Amino acid sequence: MSVATRTDPMGVETGAQPRADRDWANAILGGYVVVFFAVMFLPLLFMVAAAFNASPTPSVTDWQGFTLRWFRELPNDQRMIQGLWHSLLIAAGVIVISIPFGLSGAFILTRMRSRGSSLLYTVLVSPVLVPGIILGVTTMIFWRDFFGVQAGLFTAMAAQSSFIASYCMLMFMARLQRQDRVLEEAALDLGASPFMVFRRITLPFLMPTILTACVIAFLQSIENYNTTFFAIGGSWTLVTEIGSRMRFGLSPMINAIGVIFVAITIIVAITHTLVTRKRA
Amino acid sequence: MEALVRSYGKGLTAVFAGLVALWIILMIVVPQVTMIDRAFTYQDRGGETAMLAIEIDRAYTKRFQLEQQVQRAQNAADAEPGASAPSVSAPSATPSIGAPAATTPSAGGLPQPSAGGAANQEIDVEALEAEIATLTAKIEELESQEDLSSGEAGMKATYSLKNFTTMSGIHFQIFVMTLLYAFCVTILSFLICYPVAFVIATTTNRNRLALMMLGLVIPYAINELLRIFSWIMILEKNGILNTFLNFIGIIDIDAGEGIRFVASNGAVFTVMVYAYVLFMVFPIYNTIDTLDKNQIEAARDLGASAWKIHTRVVIPHAKPGIAVGSIMTFMLSAGSIAVPEIVGRGLHPDWFSQLIYRRFFEADSWNQGSAYSLALLIACIVFIFATMAIFKVGIRDIAK
Repeated sequence: MSVATRTDPMGVETGAQPRADRDWANAILGGYVVVFFAVMFLPLLFMVAAAFNASPTPSVTDWQGFTLRWFRELPNDQRMIQGLWHSLLIAAGVIVISIPFGLSGAFILTRMRSRGSSLLYTVLVSPVLVPGIILGVTTMIFWRDFFGVQAGLFTAMAAQSSFIASYCMLMFMARLQRQDRVLEEAALDLGASPFMVFRRITLPFLMPTILTACVIAFLQSIENYNTTFFAIGGSWTLVTEIGSRMRFGLSPMINAIGVIFVAITIIVAITHTLVTRKRA
Repeated sequence: MEALVRSYGKGLTAVFAGLVALWIILMIVVPQVTMIDRAFTYQDRGGETAMLAIEIDRAYTKRFQLEQQVQRAQNAADAEPGASAPSVSAPSATPSIGAPAATTPSAGGLPQPSAGGAANQEIDVEALEAEIATLTAKIEELESQEDLSSGEAGMKATYSLKNFTTMSGIHFQIFVMTLLYAFCVTILSFLICYPVAFVIATTTNRNRLALMMLGLVIPYAINELLRIFSWIMILEKNGILNTFLNFIGIIDIDAGEGIRFVASNGAVFTVMVYAYVLFMVFPIYNTIDTLDKNQIEAARDLGASAWKIHTRVVIPHAKPGIAVGSIMTFMLSAGSIAVPEIVGRGLHPDWFSQLIYRRFFEADSWNQGSAYSLALLIACIVFIFATMAIFKVGIRDIAK
């Protein structure tokens, strides 16, 4: 951290801050960041710890011995299992809908240079900027008023897709903006049909992003609460079920689910970090 | 459009355009328009619908009374010594028209004087049951009428601003408070995040950078509900915070001095900041990361104070990130349903999103719910445009 006063002899004379001051400032800043991360992680650690506590109310202060009971009880909880199944079903639907929509939007927006493109862009990203509950509400009303579809798994899927498709589109646009058009132009000049070019050049170029987008869409869908809560009607997903359990009192089973979520998150995050670092 | 056709051909272009059109129509524009339409459609609930509801209620009450009479008559028949075998099992054999009748406990407690004899009562019961059947049919008819009048938005409804103007004073106050709170959450999140984003963006040590990024990504990716839940454990009456306060001697839990932190405004506020703070860190980090760090060094060498470096060099560069972070944080907290529902436990003063939920699912007043949603939507749009104007960034910079 002691940045080169030796290689910069002019440092002090030009009026730069004295080194001691800067070291102090850096120390305070460093300490602050440590506190920030501690506050971010401590609650999660408590939650994880309480999942292994035999106490029937989740707690870390009242330790009644180590147990795996709450994990063993999970598979017997029919509503949770059913909820997980609903979540997976919705997530699959969301992927199937959002990826083609996102791709189409990205293709049109990156190639369109007319005045309308700004408006189109605003419309297509608007679901990201609108509160989730409003997406849920509008989807629920729309499907009932127009098609008589009652709120349920389908409307939850439609509501989630509306904004997840926007996220996917933004990812595809970022990738397409880095695309070198020369390859496509060359193929076209050499007589390849536009469809051939699309299938052989554009799609393979986008493939890694499509896979990432699938993963992101899947996670977004599974984790979504606000939108789903409003659009799902009488049905439920894993997350809305967790939410309603939390409102009616705490159970260490929620902690157990939390541990599973945390473990999956950490594994995915670390894998992602390692993969991107290797590529860099 | 020509560029599109040239690169992808007519067929593919048509497919793309069709999909985008579907997306816009089915998922973005028409649903919004439907909501707006409902928001401005006022249904006079005091009029016909209410009359229907009263009539239905009356029919139900009448039917219930009749069913009780039937039960009583049958019980009396049972009590008759000479009653024949079939009528012994009569109560359970009663056609289960309405659930309440079967569980009426008082029925057995009121033995009727059996003056008329069994045969006479049989007729009575039959007549009563016929009456019940007609009532049931009537209820069904009325209910289908009610469904029609409340289901078809346009039937007896008129366009007006009444859904907004009938918003009660308390609801309006909640609306304003929600926006105010959301605004405070946004400001506080920025103050908390900025130093963190700055430190991470200016770290030169690669391992430390990777570690800190992981430190951000992991809590960010963990479900919002679980992050909220983890705080409840801390804030609860027998939670970690109270235990700690007990330990250092500020309060005495055994004497019942535990402070109920949950379900207070402060708790909702704290958890909200915790839940949404990370949506502020990432955009700011991303923009500071693109700043040429030599500019900071140069400013420093030229004698700029730390304050000046940030206000003149770093923050102007980070503007788009700050704008995005603020918009996301504001939008998430103003529209949050999870935090007030779970931390608030129904005791904390309402959040506007909870009001919307109740309009829809408890008051069954979709039009007014739509009006409330529209109010929230407009507030968010105003916030977005205000932020864009203040930070002088365009929509293209925002959604990245």
